[in-house]
Amino acid sequence: MNETPLIPAGVKRCSKWQFSLWMAVVTAVLLWGVYAMYLIWYKGLNQTNMNDAYGFALWIWADLAVIALGGGAFFSGFLTYIVGKNELKNIINLAVVIGFICYSSALLILAIDIGQPLRGWFIFWHANVHSMLTEVAFCLSCYFAVLTIEFIPLILENPKLDKKPFWHHLSHNMHGIMAIFAATGVFLSFFHQGSLGGVAGVLYGRPFAFREHIFIWPFTFFLFTWSAAAYGPCFTILVTKITEMITRKKLVKDSAIHLFAKISGWMIITYIIAKSIDTIYWAFVTAPGMGFTLMDFYASSTYNIGLLFAEIVICGFIPGLILITKRGRENSFLLMSAIILGVIGVSLNRWVMVLQVMAVPVFSFNEWYTYMPSWQEVATTVLPVAYGLIVISLAHRYLPVFPQEKELNPID
Amino acid sequence: MKDKNAKRYGMVIDLDKCTGCGSCMVGCYSENNVPFKADETNKLDSINWIRVYKITNNKTYPNTEVCYLPMPCMQCDGAHEGHSPCVSVCPAVATDYDYDTGIVSQIYTRCFGCRYCMAACPYHARKFNWWDPVWPADMEKYLSPNVSPRMRGVVEKCSFCFHRYQLARDKAYLEKREELEENEYQTACAEACPTGAITFGDLNNKHHAVYKLKNSPRAFRLLERLNTNPKVYYLTSKSWVRKAGDNYLAHEEPTKIKNNIKEHH
Amino acid sequence: MKIDRRSFLTYTTALVLGGAAGSMLTPAPWKLTDDVSIWTQNWPWTPVPEDGEVTYKQSVCTLCPGGCGINVRLIDGRPVKIKGLEDHPVNKGSLCPMGISGLQYLYGPSRVTSPLKREGKRGEGKWKKVSWEEALGAVTKKLAELRASGRPQSVACITGSDQGTTPNLIGRFLTAYGSPNYIRSATAQDAIEQAIYLTQGKQGTPVFDIENADFVLSFGSGILDGWGSAGRMFNLYGSQKPAKKIIQVEPRLSDTAAKANQWLGINPGTEGALALGLAHVIIKESLYDRNFVENFAFGFDDWTDDNGKTHDGFAKMVKNFAPDKVSKITGIDKAEIVSLARAFARASKPIAINGRGHGAIPGSIDESLAVQSLNALVGNINKPGGISAIPDSNYAKWPEVNIDEIASKGMQQPRIDGAGSEQFPNTRFLLNRLPEIINSAKGESPVQALLVTDANPMYTLPDTAATKKAFDRIPFIVSFSPYMDETASHADYILPNHSYLERLQDVPTAAGISRQVISLAKPVVKPTYETKHVGDSFILIAKALGGFIENAFPWEDYEAFLKETLKDQWRKLKKKGIIEIKYDLPEPLAFTFNTVSTKFEFYPTARGSVKQKQNSALPTYTPVPIEGDVQRFKLVLIPYDSIRLAGGAIANAPFMTKTVDDTVLKKQVGLLEINPATAKGLGLKEGATALLTTPKGETTVKVHLYEGIKPGIIAMPRGLGHTAYSEFLADKGINVNTLTGPIEDPGSGLDMAWGIRAKLIRI
Ligand SMILES: Nc1nc2c(c(=O)[nH]1)N[C@H]1C(S)=C(S)[C@@H](COP(=O)(O)OP(=O)(O)OC[C@H]3O[C@@H](n4cnc5c(=O)[nH]c(N)nc54)[C@H](O)[C@@H]3O)O[C@H]1N2
Ligand SMILES: Nc1nc2c(c(=O)[nH]1)N[C@H]1C(S)=C(S)[C@@H](COP(=O)(O)OP(=O)(O)OC[C@H]3O[C@@H](n4cnc5c(=O)[nH]c(N)nc54)[C@H](O)[C@@H]3O)O[C@H]1N2
Ligand code: SF4
Ligand code: SF4
Ligand code: SF4
Ligand code: SF4
Ligand code: SF4
Ligand SMILES: [Mo]
Repeated sequence: MNETPLIPAGVKRCSKWQFSLWMAVVTAVLLWGVYAMYLIWYKGLNQTNMNDAYGFALWIWADLAVIALGGGAFFSGFLTYIVGKNELKNIINLAVVIGFICYSSALLILAIDIGQPLRGWFIFWHANVHSMLTEVAFCLSCYFAVLTIEFIPLILENPKLDKKPFWHHLSHNMHGIMAIFAATGVFLSFFHQGSLGGVAGVLYGRPFAFREHIFIWPFTFFLFTWSAAAYGPCFTILVTKITEMITRKKLVKDSAIHLFAKISGWMIITYIIAKSIDTIYWAFVTAPGMGFTLMDFYASSTYNIGLLFAEIVICGFIPGLILITKRGRENSFLLMSAIILGVIGVSLNRWVMVLQVMAVPVFSFNEWYTYMPSWQEVATTVLPVAYGLIVISLAHRYLPVFPQEKELNPID
Repeated sequence: MKDKNAKRYGMVIDLDKCTGCGSCMVGCYSENNVPFKADETNKLDSINWIRVYKITNNKTYPNTEVCYLPMPCMQCDGAHEGHSPCVSVCPAVATDYDYDTGIVSQIYTRCFGCRYCMAACPYHARKFNWWDPVWPADMEKYLSPNVSPRMRGVVEKCSFCFHRYQLARDKAYLEKREELEENEYQTACAEACPTGAITFGDLNNKHHAVYKLKNSPRAFRLLERLNTNPKVYYLTSKSWVRKAGDNYLAHEEPTKIKNNIKEHH
Repeated sequence: MKIDRRSFLTYTTALVLGGAAGSMLTPAPWKLTDDVSIWTQNWPWTPVPEDGEVTYKQSVCTLCPGGCGINVRLIDGRPVKIKGLEDHPVNKGSLCPMGISGLQYLYGPSRVTSPLKREGKRGEGKWKKVSWEEALGAVTKKLAELRASGRPQSVACITGSDQGTTPNLIGRFLTAYGSPNYIRSATAQDAIEQAIYLTQGKQGTPVFDIENADFVLSFGSGILDGWGSAGRMFNLYGSQKPAKKIIQVEPRLSDTAAKANQWLGINPGTEGALALGLAHVIIKESLYDRNFVENFAFGFDDWTDDNGKTHDGFAKMVKNFAPDKVSKITGIDKAEIVSLARAFARASKPIAINGRGHGAIPGSIDESLAVQSLNALVGNINKPGGISAIPDSNYAKWPEVNIDEIASKGMQQPRIDGAGSEQFPNTRFLLNRLPEIINSAKGESPVQALLVTDANPMYTLPDTAATKKAFDRIPFIVSFSPYMDETASHADYILPNHSYLERLQDVPTAAGISRQVISLAKPVVKPTYETKHVGDSFILIAKALGGFIENAFPWEDYEAFLKETLKDQWRKLKKKGIIEIKYDLPEPLAFTFNTVSTKFEFYPTARGSVKQKQNSALPTYTPVPIEGDVQRFKLVLIPYDSIRLAGGAIANAPFMTKTVDDTVLKKQVGLLEINPATAKGLGLKEGATALLTTPKGETTVKVHLYEGIKPGIIAMPRGLGHTAYSEFLADKGINVNTLTGPIEDPGSGLDMAWGIRAKLIRI
């Protein structure tokens, strides 16, 4: 098959064979994940190493993490369409693709994670308005629809589709109203990111997770939304940089990257200050009120105080400070370090808010709970990564994801 | 919604009397069609609606003491009735608070297995069906029709033997009575306990034994400081046992800590 | 419009996408989603128990000798729940976890569902289903052959009980057949019974009137771990008045020790020394019951026999057991010994009991005698809150058995186990000696055919390897077990009995209870499988053997036999489920004893033939020799009993095993309890794997660090390590009997082992 008509004009792509080989490798990983997924659906959650103490584990972390990392989509939409940072149009396509991947992955993981997937429907049909998860499920589904709608015009820009007047017009019209969807997406995201924060924060039986007074509402909500907005762009930039590295060409101008990084930096700094306040109140007021000292929560060899330091200082203040300084973000090593630390930081936060909550013993006579995921859990967590790589590879190859690519890489 | 005749069923477990025999566990299994597997030694995937913990005072031989601590679902009320840790989080209302009895229900055929309620419950009272239950040989023959067997992928927990309440209530209704006698509705574990360590009844009813017992100076509840407001009380005469029932800072003494939640009447 | 391939594809895609979007607006996908959800609520593989009419049937639990009353709830005749029978005199509504699990025995996977004939090698598990005619025929043929060859005495029968009509029917069969080798499994009751017989001259079931005692001094009896009738003991504990004191003397903090008012960690095996030490203090401080000792006891003071020889009395003998010395032996503080002696003597109704754990091992006769002497010192013999014995009930009226010459010759042969011989005149059964006797026999085994019912010696006898070797030498083994237990799985034929809930049978008073009550176990459900009442099997075999044997069984079947022998009692028993045979304790202070001296004998003259140090029959303390070289085996292993594990012949139901803590069993590996200090010396951390070796065998274990066990001692529970039954029990942990061996009491022949030396190496 001749794929030339499928490839956007004026850009260069690797050979079909190179591409097929790459796709074969990633597809193999994907199929491994699909096999694990099949086992879990067919045989049930006994295929995992979760247990009654670890009812929430790797998958819920993966869910929370990908949703945070996908936060670049709503936040870039917010900045572009609502704040009017036009510069970010050069990166928003990628942000949307990443968002789409992250949210579809989150939904897939949820469908694998629940014990009765065929009854998942009950979350809508018998919805309990008091439950954080209900809110998450509704907003997640709606926002995924929005992301799909945001993704469609990009797909329609495929040169072959664009030739058809119907698709061309549809794409054109959709672009026109995209600001409305972006705004809807931002609105929905604010809610579900926040509710995800509430998921742990309302667990008043879990001293490690629970927050009181304003530290539950609006703080837990605000912290999650804010951190997703802060760290999501790091992930978007990271993916851009990785794509540039793999394709060995520059795809987005530094001006866009630096702007996005700067905003991210300020968001991280403000977030981490808020997070520190939250942590201090929790450590010195909330926890002692329940009979715990801060160190009780970090008394395990795995969950030691280094984790808190890593999350707040190494993966919080440090990347934040790098990104807000001009020298820092314009130095490519420091920029890369900062965005990597940022991505780790938010993932670590989500890890702690899911797994450490389960690990801390609530009774004085219980031991710390430990858990190692089964290969099926790992495979199904890797599955979305493979799926993401496939979508990004296809999108990059066949869609004009990076508007500046032509300009930056002229074909002579 | 709340009826002025509403009950608050609760339990008082006398730890001074509990010998750790395990009859309550077995009584509950056989009352509630609890499944079993060949290997039940991983207590984190073993379905027990009441688990008897063995705790010690951590002193060396021969000053060691042991106390057995049976833990069913605490039927938490929370800060205000119905605000049980697990109930508010369930997205599908598969677990609910019954305002007539104070019992936290669990509807297996509604539950879709998200396990959020398990994350919420500090008592580990909730158990997940990691496997489909199997009753080998002819064991299906002994299953009780009053409690539906569960399928894999759903959460289950102690119901305070709700079906016994329903049967008793239906009987009273047919006999045109409004009130249940104390002995008409008793849980299977209380009935099975050979030493009488478990007492069950309406915590609001002055004439029920639990009413008096819960006000005993020996009475305390587990993790009271979390404000879960349980309806399961414990009695002990040993201070180390009382201390093990909650978390305290180094300088704190259990009797001095005020719980900022009052139980409801 | 020209439709080319491309636009066709485009329009089709649009149509499909549009259709998909549009159909979301129709009810179809939503209905489908809902239907799928509902299907998951009705998975056909999730059982739906049938509802129906609720009825109750009352019966008696015979899973252990406890004899607790049970009330079974049935739905349309289908038993669904067992609970305690409120007004039963034994347990008053209380049941142990085993009793509550009963329905799992009835319907469980370890039932033997029809008569079986062995196909492969012994124990290989290959069986052929055979008809009852064939199975009974084969057993009859073998028994007839042995009789024809003039060796009826080579047939032995092991039973779990010798009380009630079923064991008596079997005993009668053996008599008519011509074998004296009816052997009942041993328990601590044997030693206590014998001690009571030696001191009081009474043959009967021991009574411990704990109901009325106010101070219980227990020498290791697991009164809350399954000792005696567990249902009764729990009920008593729960309903005790706050004034009641329990003192537990035991090397390990058992559940009983945990609930006792005081726990005294003692060096294992030295309980007898403590009893004598307490006697020392009581006598020295004149705290004993003068009236009883002076007027109703013999051998307290020194005495002179008919030959003019003077013998030391009890009082002089215990002078050797001063608190200092006893403290060294027992490891209990001197002051504790003195204050315990005072508290015991000053209590208004004190009682001392023994029989370690469940009471599965008899223990030394000296120890039981010492404990009985303590009871006598405080004068609580034959009175409320005290010790006595109820004579064996003879409520069933049996016609005389006439036996033929072969049988008569056979009956005159000595018992194979040596019980009742000159060496062990006061002992009735000595199952523990059987393996050694068979193994050391020259030529063929003295047991040519073995019948086993209500017992599982292949599992419960110490030194499993020796037991297996002995059983391998027996050419013909028949099991009547309803369950595929270890002995059944090594049999040649299994003639399965009904399970206890399908069986009619009278259940006499359990040991310990001060009233003579006969309960009736009635079938709560019709037999589920092709099984036969063991009584019927014996009657059918007797009839097939013909002659005098047939004549000894003029009854059509077991039920007819039960009805006729109980005569007018039957109607009452059938109707009420329980009869009480009037038996009053002798009037207080009118103590009468059947001994030579007609008094309570501190010096048991009936023990005359015992050649002991100083030629005295007085109880003394000689350390029970413990097997193993001290240098090689630095630790001491003691088996312990737990209420959540059935250590006896009937094994755990799946529900019971489910309650077992993960500090006792982890996956398939059993955990051994060890004091953290001892463990540290061996480089063992919690959960570490180690190789446990004793002179009898070795096994891999994990260790559980437990402060509640004396340093240097390690403990493992009885009741694990089954090799038979089903996947719910088999191959979990180790059977401690594979690591221990019996130690014969020189006075009684009974097994008095309490532990064995051991070594533990980290692996
Ligand atoms: N495998 C299988 N599944 C079935 C069926 C079947 O035939 N086979 N039958 C189906 C049919 S027809 C039915 S009706 C359903 C019945 O299904 P369910 O309604 O699930 O019936 P149960 O399991 O008996 O009810 C169980 C739960 O309801 C709670 N409950 C009881 N009373 C109350 C109450 O007043 N308030 C609240 N909030 N909770 C309460 C109890 O605590 C218990 O946890 O089962 C369906 N599921
Ligand atoms: N948890 C717990 N366990 C106990 C006890 C306890 O109180 N609690 N008691 C312990 C004591 S004191 C003793 S002596 C031992 C008793 O144990 P033993 O005196 O050694 O014998 P039984 O348990 O009477 O013998 C049971 C054997 O007979 C067969 N059998 C089949 N059906 C029945 C039946 O319905 N009844 C009986 N009896 N046997 C059947 C089985 O195959 C089994 O192998 O049990 C001990 N086990
Ligand atoms: S104990 Fe757990 S399951 Fe029971 S009501 Fe409380 S939170 Fe819910
Ligand atoms: S697991 Fe079931 S009961 Fe628990 S929160 Fe989820 S749906 Fe509700
Ligand atoms: S109250 Fe009923 S359901 Fe709860 S533990 Fe007791 S027996 Fe089980
Ligand atoms: S049945 Fe009673 S004594 Fe036994 S463990 Fe349960 S509460 Fe304790
Ligand atoms: S003590 Fe024995 S007789 Fe009583 S319930 Fe338990 S097993 Fe049955
Ligand atoms: Mo129904």
